[in-house]
Amino acid sequence: MSDQPEVTSDETLCRRIAARDDAAFDLLVARYQGRAYRLAWSLLRDAEDARDVSQEAFIRIWEAADRFRGDARFSTWFYRILVNLCLDHKRRGRWWTRVVTRDADRDADATLVERHPAPGPDPGEQASEAQTMARLWEAVHRLSPQQRAAVMLYAQEHLSTAEIADVLRVAEATVRVHLHRAVAALRKDLAP
Amino acid sequence: MSLPRRDDLTPPERDVLARAAASVPQAPEPRWGDYRAELRGRLEARRSVRARLHRWWARPAPIALSFGLATAVLLFVLQPVERRPDLAAVDEVVLGARLGLLEHYRVVERLDLLEEFDVIRQLDRLPPREG
Repeated sequence: MSDQPEVTSDETLCRRIAARDDAAFDLLVARYQGRAYRLAWSLLRDAEDARDVSQEAFIRIWEAADRFRGDARFSTWFYRILVNLCLDHKRRGRWWTRVVTRDADRDADATLVERHPAPGPDPGEQASEAQTMARLWEAVHRLSPQQRAAVMLYAQEHLSTAEIADVLRVAEATVRVHLHRAVAALRKDLAP
Repeated sequence: MSLPRRDDLTPPERDVLARAAASVPQAPEPRWGDYRAELRGRLEARRSVRARLHRWWARPAPIALSFGLATAVLLFVLQPVERRPDLAAVDEVVLGARLGLLEHYRVVERLDLLEEFDVIRQLDRLPPREG
């Protein structure tokens, strides 16, 4: 018999949430809050929006827990809700965020290099790497929302292409196309 | 930096994607205690709205009202077109009800005259026009 306390699975917690168990909800939030917020932030690039949308995703989980069928992993279901909310948010805010963020992005470009720490043995090399990363981040921002979501789910959340397809509700081949096109676009942007 | 993954991406492609993920700057971390408290507040608010709506719907008056309205709409829609009440006829009935007012038109006209007469009578008391 193991001394380790048994970890309750996400799926079990979700079933308990469906039965309106507040403690299970709190536990699930604590388990996913970091991932949810980080993914939302990567897609929306705004702390307030990321906070708002990730919280909304948890509320949706509470409301729809009884509809979780359990034929997919809970994390996939959760990511689907979260990514859809992010994409909807971007779609809704597209017309005005373009105007509002144009100047903000220009400022952000200057500070992005500063945000990537550059201490190390060779400051010049480190600065160059930081600049490359900043350019890459900008290139990621220029990808289509679907491509960006696929890239983040693949590289940041380590989901398989099949899982990403499940999250985005597209064919797995479509996910591969998204990833290939994203790679091509990123390479093009990074080319000297 | 490449990710160990079984798909049709080549190692250099995986490397580009891994670097793209690594390029994401550190997200400004919220205070998780505040975050959860805010989430709890939002959830409670949502629940209370739903509960209020549910209570409203559970009352007999809204149910009867909604049912009545739905029945009226349904009856109107299901009725054959020729048997539907003629809206022009309804309009005529409304106008007809106002005909009584027209009978007293002369009185109204005189009242207007009297009002003007009152002004004329007071003319000498009006302050003289300057300039």
